[in-house]
Amino acid sequence: MRRIIAAFVAGIFCVGLQCAVSQKFAWQSEKKDEHQQVQFLYPEQVSVTAGKPSVVELHFRVNNGLHINSHTPRAKSLIPTQLMVEEPAGVNVAGVDFPAGTDYSPAFSPNDKLSVYTGEFVLRAHVTAQRGDHLIQAALRYQACDANSCYPPKTAPVAVSIVAK
Amino acid sequence: MDGIKAAGSAAEQWVAQNAGWQAVSFKIQAGKKVRLKRNHLVLILLVAALVLMVWSGVANYRRRKAEQEQLKKMQAVLTPATPTASDSGAAPETEEKSPLEGKPAPAFTLENLQGQKVSLASYKGKAVLVNFMATWCAPCKVETPWLIKLRDQYAPQGFEVLGISTDDLDKDDKKQNAQDKADIAKFVSNMHIDYPVLIDGDSISHPYGGIDALPTSFFVDRSGKVIAAIVGLHDRDELEANIKKALASGGA
Repeated sequence: MRRIIAAFVAGIFCVGLQCAVSQKFAWQSEKKDEHQQVQFLYPEQVSVTAGKPSVVELHFRVNNGLHINSHTPRAKSLIPTQLMVEEPAGVNVAGVDFPAGTDYSPAFSPNDKLSVYTGEFVLRAHVTAQRGDHLIQAALRYQACDANSCYPPKTAPVAVSIVAK
Repeated sequence: MDGIKAAGSAAEQWVAQNAGWQAVSFKIQAGKKVRLKRNHLVLILLVAALVLMVWSGVANYRRRKAEQEQLKKMQAVLTPATPTASDSGAAPETEEKSPLEGKPAPAFTLENLQGQKVSLASYKGKAVLVNFMATWCAPCKVETPWLIKLRDQYAPQGFEVLGISTDDLDKDDKKQNAQDKADIAKFVSNMHIDYPVLIDGDSISHPYGGIDALPTSFFVDRSGKVIAAIVGLHDRDELEANIKKALASGGA
């Protein structure tokens, strides 16, 4: 009986190990937000020198097949990509640098040139933090389109833990 | 006497031995109980582990299925367009049928840019294209000139276009609200739109199935029934075919 139970336990352990390696368990939530067309990738935490201006690079990715307007779209009616930052006590965000957009001509309007972000793009936030741990919360406002349609503007949440030493 | 003594000592020995056996047997039973309890615990743990794994497996299977469905939908939306000879319009090859098709178009009353209330019901007897759009929507700008021309062409037969702007309207700040409306009016003017454009389209997006992408058009026949719905930019010919269908359907 002991041997049977031992063999059974070993079998279950192996299957469990296989499960753990090959797939995520149901309680392990996906980090990707299904409703967002742009995902904040990283960093979750950065270390900076206390009291010294530092640059924190924020990495984002636009979902495949989509593009979003750059920070400086060519037409006034288009909604620019913006970052709204909440400064916690002890942290100053002096500004955020946006990359230049890339030219994109939609198939339905090949003569038009839009200034857009696709794939991965990086924003550079100029941060000065006092000694201690801080949490910067921000929201990336964007408006995405694909080859045929445009989607209402959305905001993607951004949270970065700042450790100032 | 010796015989009796011998028998007596044999009996005592037997009792002593028997008592010893009883003690041993109690020990074994107590040991068995402990082992049984342990075995039960192990079995319960195993069953719990098995149930957890089966549950996890089922949940994972469901999640993967949902992901695959989502991917299929995305692929359907992103299928490259086949431009027609007439225009460079784009049209998804496969599209899910709107659940509103064949059903009465959800009633609505919205304001136009002049502040007058306009309801869909007042167009009964006409074929109506309910076109959800926004000033920031580039594909909407491509189809707008087509809609203007199609409306001119088919208006004598009883056709109307209702542009439904989904642009945000600030409801807390009057000044900003006025600015938002002015921006829509400017767009209408710049695009030379001569059909009614109604504002605050977001307020009616729910009964229309939640407008997730723009442009989205619903073709309503003369009886007020939705006969077709399209999401995204489709070519002009498809728009025209649906307008003809709406005009031919639901008449008295």
